[in-house]
Amino acid sequence: MYVIICMHCFCPQNYPLYIRSVPSQSELKFHYTVHTSLDVVEEKISTVGKAMAEQRELYLGLLYPTEDYKVYGYVTNSKVKFVIVVDSSNTSLRDNEIRSMFRKLHNSFTDVMCNPFYNPGDPIQSKAFDSMVSAMMVQSS
Amino acid sequence: MADEALFQFLHNEVIQYVNSAESGDTENGRCVSKLENMGFRVGQGLVERFTKDTARFKDELDVMKFICKDFWTCVFKKQIDNLRTNHQGIYVLQDNKFRLLNQLSAGKQYLDHAPKYLAFTCGLVRGGLSNLGVKSIVTAEVSVMPACKFQVMIQKM
Amino acid sequence: MFEPMEPHEEKPIIYTMENKPIVTCAGDQTLFTGLYSLLAQQLPREPMEWRRSYGRAPKMIHLEANFVQFKEELLPKEGNKALLTFPFLHIYWTDCCDTETYKASVKEDMQRWQGVLRLHGSSDWLIVVVESDGKKKNKTNILPRTSIMDKIRNDFCNKQSDRCVALSDPLRESSRSQESWSSFLTKLRTLLLMSFTKNLGRFEDDMRTLREKRTEPGWSFCDYFMVQVLLLRMLLVRNLLNLPVRSWNGLLLRRPIDMEKRELIQRSEASLLDLRSYLFSRQCTLLIFLQRPWEVTQRALELLHNCVQELRLLEVSVVQGALDCWVFLSCLEVLHRIEGCCDRAQLEANFSHTVGLWTYATEKLKSLGYMCGLVSENGPNSEELNRTVDLLAGLGAERPETANSPQSPYKKLKEALSSVESFEKHYLELSHAALEMYRAIGRMRSARLVGKSLAEFYMRKGDAQTAQTFLLDSLKSYTSEGWSLPVTHTRKQIAECQKQLQQTEDYLQTSALLASDANLTDEERKHYCQEILTFANQASENKDQRVALSMSSFAQLRELRFQPAAATVHVGAALQLELRLCSLMPVPVRLEQVAASVHFSLEQPGTRPGPVGSQRRTGVSPDGTVTFPATSPSYGPPQSSAAAALELYEMQDRSPSDNTLNSTGVMCKNVHLLLRSNDSTTSLDMPRGSASALTMEDGAQMLKTNDVTLLPGSNSIVFSSMQAGTYTLRQLCATVGRVQFVLPHIYPIVQYDVYSQEPQLTIEPLTDNLLAGLPQRVKFTIVTGHYTVKKGDALQLTNSTSMPILHSSSCSACILSSTEELVGEAALSIQASEKVTSISLPPTPPYHILEFQLEVLCHIPPSPTRAESERLTNGEVRHRPKSRTRYNSGMASIDQKVSIDCPWSIYSILISLTFYTPFRAKHSLLSAGKRKYIQVCLQNVSDTNFCIANQTLTELQHTPSLELLSLNAKSRQLVYSKQCLYSLWEMKWSRETLPPCLQCVFNASFSPADAPDTALKPYSYEFQLERVSTLYTVKADIQPAVGEEQCRAGSLCRLEVSITRLTDATEAEREDEEAIETEGLRTTKLMYEVVDNSSHWAVCGKSSGLVSMPVAAMATHKVQMEVMPLFAGKLPFPSIKVFKYLPHTAPPMTQTTTSPLLDKGLEDQADTASLRSRGSVHSLGSSDHQQQQRSVPMPRLDPFSPGQVFNCSLTRQVLVLPSTDDHVLEVNVT
Repeated sequence: MYVIICMHCFCPQNYPLYIRSVPSQSELKFHYTVHTSLDVVEEKISTVGKAMAEQRELYLGLLYPTEDYKVYGYVTNSKVKFVIVVDSSNTSLRDNEIRSMFRKLHNSFTDVMCNPFYNPGDPIQSKAFDSMVSAMMVQSS
Repeated sequence: MADEALFQFLHNEVIQYVNSAESGDTENGRCVSKLENMGFRVGQGLVERFTKDTARFKDELDVMKFICKDFWTCVFKKQIDNLRTNHQGIYVLQDNKFRLLNQLSAGKQYLDHAPKYLAFTCGLVRGGLSNLGVKSIVTAEVSVMPACKFQVMIQKM
Repeated sequence: MFEPMEPHEEKPIIYTMENKPIVTCAGDQTLFTGLYSLLAQQLPREPMEWRRSYGRAPKMIHLEANFVQFKEELLPKEGNKALLTFPFLHIYWTDCCDTETYKASVKEDMQRWQGVLRLHGSSDWLIVVVESDGKKKNKTNILPRTSIMDKIRNDFCNKQSDRCVALSDPLRESSRSQESWSSFLTKLRTLLLMSFTKNLGRFEDDMRTLREKRTEPGWSFCDYFMVQVLLLRMLLVRNLLNLPVRSWNGLLLRRPIDMEKRELIQRSEASLLDLRSYLFSRQCTLLIFLQRPWEVTQRALELLHNCVQELRLLEVSVVQGALDCWVFLSCLEVLHRIEGCCDRAQLEANFSHTVGLWTYATEKLKSLGYMCGLVSENGPNSEELNRTVDLLAGLGAERPETANSPQSPYKKLKEALSSVESFEKHYLELSHAALEMYRAIGRMRSARLVGKSLAEFYMRKGDAQTAQTFLLDSLKSYTSEGWSLPVTHTRKQIAECQKQLQQTEDYLQTSALLASDANLTDEERKHYCQEILTFANQASENKDQRVALSMSSFAQLRELRFQPAAATVHVGAALQLELRLCSLMPVPVRLEQVAASVHFSLEQPGTRPGPVGSQRRTGVSPDGTVTFPATSPSYGPPQSSAAAALELYEMQDRSPSDNTLNSTGVMCKNVHLLLRSNDSTTSLDMPRGSASALTMEDGAQMLKTNDVTLLPGSNSIVFSSMQAGTYTLRQLCATVGRVQFVLPHIYPIVQYDVYSQEPQLTIEPLTDNLLAGLPQRVKFTIVTGHYTVKKGDALQLTNSTSMPILHSSSCSACILSSTEELVGEAALSIQASEKVTSISLPPTPPYHILEFQLEVLCHIPPSPTRAESERLTNGEVRHRPKSRTRYNSGMASIDQKVSIDCPWSIYSILISLTFYTPFRAKHSLLSAGKRKYIQVCLQNVSDTNFCIANQTLTELQHTPSLELLSLNAKSRQLVYSKQCLYSLWEMKWSRETLPPCLQCVFNASFSPADAPDTALKPYSYEFQLERVSTLYTVKADIQPAVGEEQCRAGSLCRLEVSITRLTDATEAEREDEEAIETEGLRTTKLMYEVVDNSSHWAVCGKSSGLVSMPVAAMATHKVQMEVMPLFAGKLPFPSIKVFKYLPHTAPPMTQTTTSPLLDKGLEDQADTASLRSRGSVHSLGSSDHQQQQRSVPMPRLDPFSPGQVFNCSLTRQVLVLPSTDDHVLEVNVT
């Protein structure tokens, strides 16, 4: 079973840049969950001014626990949001592991941004990014 | 250092190229607009890379400081010498020894060509800021080279 | 918080949360009691760094301790894990200062104490020796303090000398006392922490060992759990509150079981929830105690999620719904509790913390409702009723503490499950509460999700109207943020609502969107597509009731291609408009009609330059295609292009004084545009576009295609046939039965032109200018326009005889298409009659070009005397096109009008062709005494070089005695452009006199220099010579002054002029010469005049005068006058002019000859000057004056025609010597 069920990159306007999820019946539910979690992401971003330096980490932590999933968030300085959804039953994933997954995602996204064939704001169609995400999903299963 | 020089040479060639490609157009500004646009995309990518490991920015001023320090250092091997703001969305960044003008002249010679050598950087800053969620217009002014001033007007969302 | 401990207290210590680590005190109790308060107060004052094992981060902690009297029972037995009662440090207090006492009692007591400690394996002890000056004073045999210390150290601390410390004067305020206090405290803290770390570490190790053993059979989670709880409580005791909260959490969240141990847990399943509840309650107490009630909610949520998750994993079989009940109750209990301890404002400020629980409770209630059939329209069935009863029974009795509260969660649940109505009430209450809270804290997406859930509820209840409101709100959010899957799902639900609500149009629109939705399965898409088609094909009662839907969801216009590419055709030609429509439907759809409405903007494209070179349209690529931006039917990335682009320019600031550059820069032109907040950017296509936008424009012209089947994917639809005009594509409409899919706007704007053109004939020379006299090629171009040239159509050219049309047999016409491609060639048949030339045209289709060339010849007019005269070279401007100015100076033009009757028009076309005469001829009469010569100068004024041959001169009246003797070369002569050819003839005649007027014709043949001889064309020049024969000779002679050999400058000379009449009066002469009969002798009056224009001579005295000449041969009149040469050298004679003098009595002969042509030289002559001036005044006047002149007779001067007066001394010169005293002579150079 995959652990990362669903992953989203958002451009600053919250349009999905990339959605990847384990094929399943409840894909729709993931979408709803992730979409709702944006509320929390925005809440966390908006309070950044008051936060201390160490709390201004790009990794936003657990956003939104539900009965079935845990939703983790990450926001780059360019206001691109990454969301990873993990099945609640998977308790083997530590916060640090999630964080490093996000770092990987971010690195890969940076590569996409620096690709001249990518137009910022467009959906990501990079094969390299795809395979990185796939590897991550398999690896953390 | 080769990499420093490389950027500078490439920058010069790009200006040469764009200028000759647009020379047919008498309209003032075609060349600088094109260069600025190039800089914009480069700035977007650069900032994405540079901010990968920094903390989230507190506010607009924090972002501007990043541009003046980290960003400028990465691109031009020095910091902005002076940053001023009216706290209403206008920032003036002064570089007393701007690297792209340094080779050009130390005074008023070639002053008429100077704008072309600033346009790319204007775009660089605008692209960088834009990727950090700050929409802006960046203009530049130079009266005695190699010092120059960049003015950033923030577009209120 | 802390109460001073009574050291002698016997009652057992109650270990509360506030408890601190235990430190036992032995020895002198009174001494300790005196120091206790100070100690307890000072100990936690300074923090200590706690270095922890396992690489955990060090932590600064404030130590506190619970000091109790030493008792052996306090020491832990082997295996006792009671951490909380574990004494960490044992202190022995003594103030003994003399050796005696020490040896007598204290040492023994200490040994005993040590023994007990050793027995229990406790090595954490400290001996405190308190010194006080007061005590020292009393004792005489005082040993120094150090000696006691040494003794104690010797006796007890064999290796650990630091286990014994001194505390001097603890109750004094001296600096020494302070110092010793502080070192004591440091020591105490260090030791306490050391012991703490050691013991805790040991404990943790034990716990870890226990955990390692968890896979072994017989391992008890409860044991482990208890150990851990103990540790945590110990930490709590350490007042490390922040630490344990996390660890509690860890404990709570840790999955405590392996699959192998499943049975074990299952056996004690009932206790699992108990265990967790217990833990949670501990945690809640803690958090509420810490004034952090909001964390409770968060943790409660996590706890509930985990429990549910775990139970699911464990596959624990519970009654369906029981868990939901439990969660629901738990949520509400927690919320209840929180509400109990916070005021309203606080609650509102912390909605973000509580809302999760509210939502969770709502969800659970909802699922319970669904499960128990409380949501359906029909109410629960028996199975569902049974389930409800089971659940209610499972709830058990309400716990006593909430029994009195009317709003207790228990009661709520029971009530909610009891009936459909009360469920609705409770569910709505909860949902709206959650919704409001989300809205209040700005979590709009979450609020909408709750709204969606509510909508589902309303749907089940059959209230589609309310449901739709919520769904549309959600849909808006998903659409604007581009979430396709939720959009599809929500849209499906909306479709259901709309179907129930019978909102046909909306339903069909939504169906169309769904049918084109790639997220749905083929079956679903086909279903929705079928829905539309079914409706479309239903026979409606109201025939004209049509439903207009947005086309964007049905098919997309991708591309439009014009054939021909220019999008411009003439009437009748085929302009094809090929639309590429991408059908989004899953099945082929048969369209009854596809119509494109066009806006007609111009009846006739005004001054269209023609089919060729028509202007390129914007948006149309050179190959005639227009590409439309692909728009997603419902959502897509934001249209960033809407923002204005940055426009920069290079600024150069120059100093106003010296124009040097002050500064330069890169500036922005459109700051105001860009800085304007662009909130006005609205979504271009709303999925539910207003109905008015979808109506087809009335009265618009349509391009139609019938019976098209749109296959899924790309389709091409071709339109053609148009009326003249310029059209703009406006809308597109596809009709399927009653349904119309309308694309309300076509953007970018697409235009095409259909033009109608009148037939047109143009005739233009092939060369720059047409030369008269030579055959010239003229090109006829017929643009047929809308006219079809049929067989038998002919052009009728009516031309003047001076311009015949030369037709050769090889004349043929080219037929070109409108794009100037050669279509065909056909021979022309030309029939020429006297005045009319008829050209039969080959059949030519409309909008073609017919071209042919004809040769025309313009004869040079046979009597172009007037045209050739000097005066007319400047005149005749009206004949020349103004643009051809270069001919103004040289060539005479001849306009030839050709009238052409065209078959397409009843009116004749008048075309003017301008020919230019290549030559200009001038004649002059030359005399030598009585001998006469005629010279003709032929000037080639054209750009062409010509060959001239056969120059002849003939006298037209054939005067018998007259002979013209040619003095010219016989051969052909080349006349280059702008050069002249002179020809000369001598006139010879035998009779005495010639006729007064001679009509002559100069004839020559010419051909272009490079043309063969056969091409020689005639040129003739007619002219008239009048009064050819010489009447008078004038002879002048200059003699030096008397006595001089030579003339000298400055001295007067004598000029003698003799005028001699050569002939008698002739007939012709009599007519025009005014002779006066006096004394039987016919005389005529002449006026002579000596003029020197070159200022060589000064004429002294009268320079002019009248002479009466007898009309007889050889009559001579001599006049003498004095002239003075002004210069030395060979001076030409002054000119002598002779005029006829007509006395006033004689009537003027002709108007033209009356003009007195007087020279300046006459001005000083008083007698003639008055005459001349008067005459000149009148002659310059208008015709009135001339009539006046006629009525008032005046004397006039009349010139002789050239040749009548022969001046023998015309070019004579006389040698003038310089004056002798030339040094005196002043020469004025003017």
